[in-house]
Amino acid sequence: MIVDLHNHSIKSDDGRAKVENYCQWISKRGLEVDGFVLTEHRQFDGDSDYRPLEDAHGLRILKGAEVETDYGHVLVFGVNEDLLQAFDFTRLDLPLELVIRESERCGAIAVPCHPGRATVGMCAHYEARGAVDGVRVIETYNGGSRGGENEDAIALAERYGYSGIGGSDAHIVSHIGRCVTRFDREIRDEQDLVDALTDGKFEAISWI
Amino acid sequence: MSARSFDDVSFGDDLEEMKTDVSLDRIKRFTGAAGMTFERFTNHEAARKEGLPGAIVPGIMSQGILAAMIHRWAPGSTIVKIDTVFRAPLLVDSDPVCRGVVTDMNKADRTVEVDLTIVNEANETRVLGTATVRLEG
Repeated sequence: MIVDLHNHSIKSDDGRAKVENYCQWISKRGLEVDGFVLTEHRQFDGDSDYRPLEDAHGLRILKGAEVETDYGHVLVFGVNEDLLQAFDFTRLDLPLELVIRESERCGAIAVPCHPGRATVGMCAHYEARGAVDGVRVIETYNGGSRGGENEDAIALAERYGYSGIGGSDAHIVSHIGRCVTRFDREIRDEQDLVDALTDGKFEAISWI
Repeated sequence: MSARSFDDVSFGDDLEEMKTDVSLDRIKRFTGAAGMTFERFTNHEAARKEGLPGAIVPGIMSQGILAAMIHRWAPGSTIVKIDTVFRAPLLVDSDPVCRGVVTDMNKADRTVEVDLTIVNEANETRVLGTATVRLEG
């Protein structure tokens, strides 16, 4: 199953895409994508019900979040009520170690994203301050990367033995499905996604 | 050129790609006309001293170029809203390409939503955005 793990809708402050239009785009362009995850900035959208869109388009639409830490931005998959109480998603300076630890404690998983990007990626922070315990998976293919950022992320993953995921980081409709993750199993819901990411049996793919 | 009708447009339609001239000479003409005096737009060395990789194309010029692409695709249309995000500097003397694609349609008010991007020679997105465009017919 192929899932695009990193996308933003109009729920994010800089997102310009409606979720319905993402679905239409995938169908119209015949993208080999079975589903996607909405990772809104600094929030978890627990209210929106995308099941009618899933049914209409034959896609799996899951929800996560993108939070901001002292080591850069981090995707969180498997967000639940316990995790929402564990730290403030709106903070700009969450300790990465806290996000990793609390996500694991609550049955979720934290995945640093676009690590090669200046300031908001973890590579430069690792160089300056050293590695953080508990990181297992990072985003090695990000659809918005420029100038060697994905190569830096891949090098970081190889150096520390991290697994890599792919996500488009789409903010406009036509950018979904540029980077994806292929799983060896069906991903029916957020718990399946956490289990699969924890098992490490997946592959990051770039279609750029 | 004839106007483009709403009924002739479909979700997923690509606008014709448009190469654009962002040479130093043209940027100087633009900034002169706009009364912009910042050297980061017109002097590579001054831009580097500010920590930029070179002189950069003014954001309002990028937005204007994208608006021109829309009007070339749909003469006589009305740009109801245009919204751009500057993801990375678009460098002066680079060789960028502007792209657009229809990503939503609203029959009630005869408008379409267009995704907009400006990419550089490495196909990296430097500017992205959306526009709401009202079409004839």
